Amino acid sequence: MQSWRGKSLWLALSASWLLILLRVFPLLRLAVPARPWASAPQGWPRWLDTELLPSFSQPGELPEDAPQPPQAPRGGGCDWGACFDASKCRTGGLKVFVHPVAGPISASHRKILASIESSRYHTASPEEACLLLFLSLEVPAGECSPVPQQWNGGRNHLVLDLHPAPCPQTFQLGRAMVAKASPTVDTFRPGFDVALPLLPEAHPLRGGAPGQLRQHSPHPGVPLLALAEERGGWRTAGTDPSTCPWDGRCEQDRGPEQTHPGGTLPNATFCLIPGHRPDALHFLQALQAGCIPVLLSPRWELPFSEVIDWTKAAIVADERLPFQVLAALQEMPLTRVLALRQQTQFLWDAYFSSVEKVMHTTLEIIQDRIFGASAHASLLWNSPPGALLALPTFSTSLSDFPFYHLQWGSRPVGRFSALIWVGAPGQPPLKLIQAVAGSQNCAQILVLWSSEKPPPSRWPETAVPLTVMDGQRKVSDRFFPHRAISTDAILSLDAHSSVTTSEVDFAFLVWQSFPERMVGFLTWNHFWDEAQGGWGYTAERANEFSMVLTSAAFYHRYYHTLFTHSLPKALRTLADETPTCVDILMNFLVAAVTKLPPIKVPYGKQHFEATPPLVPGGPEPQPTARDCINQMAAGFGYMPLVSSRLRLDPVLFKDPVSVLRKKYRSLEKP
Amino acid sequence: MGQVYLEREEEAACVIMCASVKYNIRGPALIPRMKSKHRIYYITLFSIVLLGLIATGMFQFWPHSIESSSDWSVEKRSVRDVPVVRLPADSPIPERGDLSCRMHTCFDVYRCGFNPKNKIKVYIYSLKKYVDDFGVPVSNTISREYNELLTAISDSDYYTDDISRACLFVPSIDVLNQNTLRIKETAQALAQLSRWDRGTNHLLFNMLPGGPPDYNTALDVPRDRALLAGGGFSTWTYRQGYDVSIPVYSPLSAEVELPEKGPGPRRYFLLSSQPAVHPEYREDLEALQARHGEAVLVLDKCTNLSEGVLSVRRRCHKHQVFDYPQVLQEATFCVVLRGARLGQAVLSDVLRAGCVPVVIADSYVLPFSEVLDWKRASVVVPEEKMSEAYSILQSIPQRQIEEMQRQARWFWEAYFQSIKAIALATLQIINDRIYPYAALSYEEWNDPPTVKRGSVSNPLFLPLIPPQSQGFTAIVLTYDRVESLFRVITEVSKVPSLSKLLVVWNNQNKNPPEDSLWPKIRVPLKVVRTAENKLSNRFFPYDEIETEAVLAIDDDIIMLTSDELQFGYEVWREFPDRLVGYPGRLHLWDHEMNKWKYESEWTNEVSMVLTGAAFYHKYFNYLYTYKMPGDIKNWVDAHMNCEDIAMNFLVANVTGKAVIKVTPRKKFKCPECTAIDGLSLDQTHMVERHFQHFRGRQWWFSACLYWIIKATQGSIY
Repeated sequence: MQSWRGKSLWLALSASWLLILLRVFPLLRLAVPARPWASAPQGWPRWLDTELLPSFSQPGELPEDAPQPPQAPRGGGCDWGACFDASKCRTGGLKVFVHPVAGPISASHRKILASIESSRYHTASPEEACLLLFLSLEVPAGECSPVPQQWNGGRNHLVLDLHPAPCPQTFQLGRAMVAKASPTVDTFRPGFDVALPLLPEAHPLRGGAPGQLRQHSPHPGVPLLALAEERGGWRTAGTDPSTCPWDGRCEQDRGPEQTHPGGTLPNATFCLIPGHRPDALHFLQALQAGCIPVLLSPRWELPFSEVIDWTKAAIVADERLPFQVLAALQEMPLTRVLALRQQTQFLWDAYFSSVEKVMHTTLEIIQDRIFGASAHASLLWNSPPGALLALPTFSTSLSDFPFYHLQWGSRPVGRFSALIWVGAPGQPPLKLIQAVAGSQNCAQILVLWSSEKPPPSRWPETAVPLTVMDGQRKVSDRFFPHRAISTDAILSLDAHSSVTTSEVDFAFLVWQSFPERMVGFLTWNHFWDEAQGGWGYTAERANEFSMVLTSAAFYHRYYHTLFTHSLPKALRTLADETPTCVDILMNFLVAAVTKLPPIKVPYGKQHFEATPPLVPGGPEPQPTARDCINQMAAGFGYMPLVSSRLRLDPVLFKDPVSVLRKKYRSLEKP
Repeated sequence: MGQVYLEREEEAACVIMCASVKYNIRGPALIPRMKSKHRIYYITLFSIVLLGLIATGMFQFWPHSIESSSDWSVEKRSVRDVPVVRLPADSPIPERGDLSCRMHTCFDVYRCGFNPKNKIKVYIYSLKKYVDDFGVPVSNTISREYNELLTAISDSDYYTDDISRACLFVPSIDVLNQNTLRIKETAQALAQLSRWDRGTNHLLFNMLPGGPPDYNTALDVPRDRALLAGGGFSTWTYRQGYDVSIPVYSPLSAEVELPEKGPGPRRYFLLSSQPAVHPEYREDLEALQARHGEAVLVLDKCTNLSEGVLSVRRRCHKHQVFDYPQVLQEATFCVVLRGARLGQAVLSDVLRAGCVPVVIADSYVLPFSEVLDWKRASVVVPEEKMSEAYSILQSIPQRQIEEMQRQARWFWEAYFQSIKAIALATLQIINDRIYPYAALSYEEWNDPPTVKRGSVSNPLFLPLIPPQSQGFTAIVLTYDRVESLFRVITEVSKVPSLSKLLVVWNNQNKNPPEDSLWPKIRVPLKVVRTAENKLSNRFFPYDEIETEAVLAIDDDIIMLTSDELQFGYEVWREFPDRLVGYPGRLHLWDHEMNKWKYESEWTNEVSMVLTGAAFYHKYFNYLYTYKMPGDIKNWVDAHMNCEDIAMNFLVANVTGKAVIKVTPRKKFKCPECTAIDGLSLDQTHMVERHFQHFRGRQWWFSACLYWIIKATQGSIY
């Protein structure tokens, strides 16, 4: 009994404690005043009646916006939809007519005219044209060029105004677009006007100086900053701060300052450019030098801002915060600096280094507006090789191009088409067809019959489809984008080429790693001939090479499109006249696009002995061919070829292991 | 608060339970023997102990539990209780918006100041109710959406409650819909805000601007220099680089479930779903329908719906009734036509349905056009060309259409989905302008996650062949094998392009040999002493490295001739973004063992080269030391192995490219040479060097690969 009472007593005690805990505790806590809140912010209150709040728009109001008739553009303002009639361009493509200029014209204007005339959009008849170009001339102050005939209220006109210090506008622009060098932000009409770079007088017409960057990362010891000076020079400052990102120690010491006269390019990691318009000239200098432009509150529109993503190559900072900007530059991660520097070089080289590039870019922008949905994607404009060399007419899908696989996360398609060109002798290349058809990667064989003789009616049975196409008896026809080509990779062959299946297989494997380059077996090298004062090339087997013969080479089918649609007609005609030229022209084209040498893969010894005439014209090219390379170089404006010193072999090539372990055994046959 | 209770109850329950257990076990035996006066004593004692326990528990949990509940501090109040502010009729009105405003003229950046995180600070004014002299309210106090918007800002990293440190001010005056407010009085209310200062750094959100009859495309409330985040800007009213164009939020976003629809053919090619379209446009649309038949569907509002059916959710064509917005998923292209306003909420619904919007609204500034690339997700057709719309759309290839559909859905998910998404995107845009050096890139804004995952942006993307004159720096990692080291130095110094030799002395217990003992070579030789014997010292970006090319070479690699090394350098110049090495390795997936394995020489593919002798860009040193994903670096340092694999993975991961192996010719010529044994080809070599107790090397490689793949989320090339 006692124990029972004790038990119940304990139980009661525990229960009462529990009660006290449950009841008193909250009271106790409420009694203690809430401590003032120091760290966390108060925040926007959670309203008790959130659910009851009215919506900002009544149901019905949103969809049933009171209907309204279409509005005319206000205040004479123009934009693309309202002021440009694109219907003419859509049917006939962009055709550009330049109004003839009355009176003497300056050298820079002559360059502009020449570059437009060389463009594939140029037309000589104003009726055919959908864009009319009008050059605003530099004339003594006060005077101005008169309104041209067929002005038509400025409709579909583009007024080119390449130098600032413009003439006061005596004629009404009307509906004309203005392409102006470094226009002020206030007058610039985005999506309608075009912002051009401010070009120096001596800007070259074609080719142009390459970017100055010789290495990817900033050279240690290069000053951090260069400041644009009013007289056109640069002042560098900073002691070796480029080591900063490496070890994290940054010194504020500005170090000795150095001034550079005008004309020289700045040598620094960042180039500070004030925001006034005359300083726009510095912008291109910095770009060429690979010095990252830091624009301090620019009052002018950046060139081609409609399509170029300048945040990838320059920094637009606020001039009111000098120390903040400096600190940010000093602490900028190396990864970003690397990317910005490389982008400056790419942009300089793709769009700014010559008058021709600037003008073609302008036309390309207008072409893009006409195209609408099928215009260049932003990636095409902003990554190598640039929009002038990546034609949206080829494809709007990035993975169809050879250049963007990495960025787009795609891979080149795993088969190739063999394109066999049969020239004058007209011998069906039966052995070659068997060798190529033996490859597992071969998707189709196309025979381009370019001989006077009729093609034979019977062709050998092959595992892959074989198509015979009738060629046009022109050499350049072999680089025409034939519809029948269904794969990305093309194996270009001549009727007298000789390759083995495993050579083809391995070369294709290499091409898949380098889809933007040419992969070939036989090579030529170019050199500067002091004696003749021109370029020469040789087929001799040397330690270097810069061209591969297209009589046996892999490349991307996009180069056919580029060859046919972007090369100047004069060069293609030249190539047709001298057959060896076609090889050179194709190599020039690919090198100009990639800026890299082609790739050489192993080629069996037996072929050299069997087929000596594979090199047209023997080891020493004929004089006409020598002319050819010089004419090509003149046409391009520079020498695009790049030399290489290596050959890619299979991993176990000639390694002392059992032949059975090697994948490409026959490559090593003596 | 619930959390707080729970914790304490558990605590209490435990104390009591423990006590009763004690009683149960020992009580019956003890208590009967106790005298009653003792019992009271025991009870008192027990109570004191219990009290003590509870007090301890209380002190332990009290402050902690308050901190864990953030709700504790946030007041719960009603919107009706907010303070009322009377605006005198003659209180000042701000000037009209200044159309020439730009960030560097009208925005006060000094307020934003230096900020290590590169994040602007946003302050929100507290909510007030504004009434005029007669006590008539100026507007609805706050709408549900604006409350949501302010809550989103308040919950974000941008928020500050310290008005003196704020860079951007957001008034709590709701101007989302111009029709719900009185313009003059609202302007007066803005002007009396404590930090108004001509509207500098103030941000207003407006989605429905203008009112009948002329429907201005920007908010009519005079706002002086304030930034406007507006829906429905036209190019005439939009201040490029100052204002932000935002979408008109569609309330259906929250109300309706609409799962993503995969690619594939859709029933209609072109669909117009807007119920109130100007007759002139409707004629054009119907003409399109007449010309192209089934492929075009023009919907209208329903006239004969039964009671209780939401007319917002239905659309009709003749007598056919369609569910809206579900019907949008049936179409490839959807027309987004201007109404009285340029900005239409239907754009949001269309994007959500993965239908490509065909925007027919001249001069309309599309939402977030400053950062979003609308070419990838929409088609803009001039109003004049409406009749040609069909042929324009038909010229777009199917693959591009599918990409656009995916992009449209992604835009909705990322930037249109909720008021919160809209608010944060707006603040991010302004933040990017103020801290341009930390701005998001085009790809970050525009690439859908699938592309982001698959893509690789090579850090050395510029096609460039570095000049040979620059040469390379050789880095020899050594511990104490001086003799072998000297041989390597002598051998390497014969390479013509060598410009500097760096010896990393990894032995802390022993000093490097005296200067006089080192071999005399033609290039500068530097010895770096390390603080700790770590393998990653080999990949440290030393200041002494002045060239781009680095040759990492072990102190026992003596069989490579200077020609071979020189050739390796030449090869690197043509492939500066790759690892160029001599002995190769391959990683393979072993199906039987179900793990990654690591093949040594003599296979037909190579995916790794040993860093015992390899050329690479010095940037990879920086990446290895500072940007290595996960804790690979620590793992390597702790286990003294796998640094070569880690480097191979790193380079492959950032560049997406394979290594290049240069064939050492000597091996080919004289396979029986003894020198070759020094090449780290044999399986035990490195293990013996670094470990007292032998373990199979194969195991290490599997382990390394496992670790590294885990740390890099399985991305492997």
